[in-house]
Amino acid sequence: MRQRTGASIPVGILVLVLLPLILMPIAAVFVFAFRGGPAAFLKSLGSEDAQFALRFSLLIAFFTAAINAVLGTWAAYVLAKHRFPGERPLAIAINLPVAIPTVVVGTSLLLLWGPIGLFGKALAPLGLQPMFTPVGVLLAHLFVTFPYMLGAVKPLLDELEVTYEEAAYTLGAGKWQTFRWVILPALRGGLFSGTLLTFAHSLGEFGATVMVSGNLRLRTQTAPLYIFAQFEAGNVAQANAVAAVLAALSFAIFFFLLRYSGRKRA
Amino acid sequence: MASDRSSRLQGRLALLGGGALLLYALWPWLPVPGRAEQPRTVVFYGFSILGEAMNDDVLPAFARSWRRATGERVEFATAFAGSGTVTNQLILGVPAQCALLSLELDAQRLADAGVVPAGSWRRLPHGGVVNRTPFVLVVRPGNPKGIHDFPDLARPGVRVVHPDPLTSGGANWAILAEYGAAARRLPDQPRQAGFQALLGVWRNVTAQAASARAARTQFENGFGDVLVTYEQDVLEDAQAGTLPGEIVYPASTVLSEHTLVVLDKNIAPSERPLIDALVRFLWSEEAQRLFVRRGFRSVDERLNAGNPAFGTIRDPFLVADFGGWKRVKREIVDGIWKERVMREVGK
Repeated sequence: MRQRTGASIPVGILVLVLLPLILMPIAAVFVFAFRGGPAAFLKSLGSEDAQFALRFSLLIAFFTAAINAVLGTWAAYVLAKHRFPGERPLAIAINLPVAIPTVVVGTSLLLLWGPIGLFGKALAPLGLQPMFTPVGVLLAHLFVTFPYMLGAVKPLLDELEVTYEEAAYTLGAGKWQTFRWVILPALRGGLFSGTLLTFAHSLGEFGATVMVSGNLRLRTQTAPLYIFAQFEAGNVAQANAVAAVLAALSFAIFFFLLRYSGRKRA
Repeated sequence: MASDRSSRLQGRLALLGGGALLLYALWPWLPVPGRAEQPRTVVFYGFSILGEAMNDDVLPAFARSWRRATGERVEFATAFAGSGTVTNQLILGVPAQCALLSLELDAQRLADAGVVPAGSWRRLPHGGVVNRTPFVLVVRPGNPKGIHDFPDLARPGVRVVHPDPLTSGGANWAILAEYGAAARRLPDQPRQAGFQALLGVWRNVTAQAASARAARTQFENGFGDVLVTYEQDVLEDAQAGTLPGEIVYPASTVLSEHTLVVLDKNIAPSERPLIDALVRFLWSEEAQRLFVRRGFRSVDERLNAGNPAFGTIRDPFLVADFGGWKRVKREIVDGIWKERVMREVGK
């Protein structure tokens, strides 16, 4: 039972603490974005660089979400359905990206794929150089967001009753048919929330991206990098316009996530 | 039932929203009929304060002149950051065809890393130097701390905002300016005078930013009493009255010289004429006039009358007066600032 009476004081204190910590900074982005009026906001947002940065970030987020949805589900399936030596270490390794600072991810990618790295050296004679290109950004985002899909799908797979699967096999379904018609529908919720989380995280990724993107405007500059570059250059209005859009997008994604998980519980 | 329908509606809404986002994101790359042909792209890297002058004036002017000459469209992908940052990115292999660095030292680092042939920039006009600008001080409006020259930065209680010499070319110029001004005042013991001057300034450095431009943003956001920076970066705003401060010209200061490097390894044979034309254009009268208008001092002295806002400096000097960047880096930046001053400050 939750206490209904006498809640106003603890709740009030909580709000007071959260106000400068979380709520006011978010509000400040929107206040500053619209300080010059809606016309100035649209003008900042309409610049070629800002438009490119937003589009590029969205595309990377779509690709990241799509690729990791498949990769993550597959990894979850393998880990949930098979017992093998070294299972624990592998599970830990796959979840590692959550724990590693994103800047370190960027550095390690540069060290592997860059011109001085192991893969980079092998690719150089072929004229391939993934770092400082959109491919490099995608690689970084795949790395950083990999565990989200796994975290959303694996618990569902673990809970899934084996009997359904066995029933399907008994009825003559193949491995793929069973996966497609029995397991996948049961995972829908996890797939949805995992994909959205991956998308949202990719949209806002900064630490790894700044290392591997080369920060080229109209080529590899993502929206967060654009915000940082414009803010550093003193163009606060331009930075805030894009920041406000990113924040609004995150709110929308979060809204759907919460609605969805709320419905599932109800 | 009603909740089921509303949830399905919400699902559709989410799908629709996602689809709209994807369409928006893909739009520029969709093959819509009637769209102009793909332009040729030049990748140009530069140090922090160049951004506006290059993106708004010089590169568009070149694109127009190239279009007039050949009918082709040129587009520029540009990136501007601290000169040291840019140099590191070039070493790691960013696909730039040209880069304008804040100081020749960074060009030498590129040569050491095998990115460009040693001394290749020296064969360009003016030894590769595209433009110049003196190092100045920016103080709060009304100059409340009474700062008139470099020695005033050493006074107790003065908070100095300085770019970081690790990533910023401007910071290296600033160190040379602080050292050189003192050394030229006391020519019989320049090293001791320069050391004392640097020690005084760096005891008071309260904020270090990654680039000259970032240092200026820190100053504008209210940090510190005085900023050491390029005249160019603050000239336009000072004229327009939007600089939250005043420019103070030291009696003696360095004129920074900005070096162009051409990265042959990133230039396909078919791009050669385009890049060569761009390089020539940077020293053309048209481009140099644009630089002057944006607050850079031209390598062609005659053009510098074109900007009345330029302040006068009684005793300007160049890095060549101290033996060039190799020597300045070894003896002053590393030998005195890093080895002695920073150790003393860290105590």
